[in-house]
Amino acid sequence: MTAPQLLGHCHCGAIRVMLEPGRPVGELAYRACQCGFCRRHGAATTSDPRSFLHIEAAPGSVNHYRFGRLAVDVLLCEACGVYVASSIEVEGARLATLNVAGVGLSGFEGRTPEPAVYDDETDEQRLARRRARWTPTVLVEDAQPSI
Amino acid sequence: MNIDPFTWRAGGCHCGGVRFEVALPEVVEAQSCNCSICAKTGFIHIIVPESRFRITKGAERLSEYSFNTRVAKHLFCSECGVKSFYRPRSNPDGWSVNARCLDATDGLELRIEAFDGQNWEANAAALAHLSKERA
Repeated sequence: MTAPQLLGHCHCGAIRVMLEPGRPVGELAYRACQCGFCRRHGAATTSDPRSFLHIEAAPGSVNHYRFGRLAVDVLLCEACGVYVASSIEVEGARLATLNVAGVGLSGFEGRTPEPAVYDDETDEQRLARRRARWTPTVLVEDAQPSI
Repeated sequence: MNIDPFTWRAGGCHCGGVRFEVALPEVVEAQSCNCSICAKTGFIHIIVPESRFRITKGAERLSEYSFNTRVAKHLFCSECGVKSFYRPRSNPDGWSVNARCLDATDGLELRIEAFDGQNWEANAAALAHLSKERA
């Protein structure tokens, strides 16, 4: 049996997401990163290397924010400010962790995110973790809405 | 003897472009709201009167977002997206500051209560007193 597609969007709807889970939805990770960025956004994220994430954004709706090591392309909605996802590019492919709270992703109701602290990681450990855990993702900007 | 019960505390967004100060007592009533926008921004409300809040940096960097009745003015940093404070629909005469954006909470007791913003019309009146200036 295939798991259902999970849908979500930022508050104004300019950025829409669809997650195709590669495992039962209840087994998808659910994390509350404790860094200064995630805390201020109240983020609760999921990522899974066996799943697939589609992100579609209306023309001009993505604010690409970078901070710290500038390694991560953070996707924010230009119009409503909502934090949608963080992504990296590895060998031409995008990997991302999705802010479940920010897009109101279905399927996580009633779950409490696990606090996660990555402060002590080296740059290499950080990249290795992201490569191992984050979700293969396609971001389509200037999209005609289809999700 | 007149003892000022409030301490000015600083806070701001993630990139540092927007900064504010808010005068708070030692025990603060805060609200965690389940409405559509608060759930997506993770906002924890500390509602104060006009006189107990000031923007100290970056007013020009704020983006404004409104929806539905358009009474609330949702403000966020145009650089990092963080919503540090805004003009709430329940208290348009005051400010709601995001507890997540305070620099430090030492000596501050936050009493976070659930607010049912999904049924806003039935519940908002209970917050009105929070932005009233003391006589």
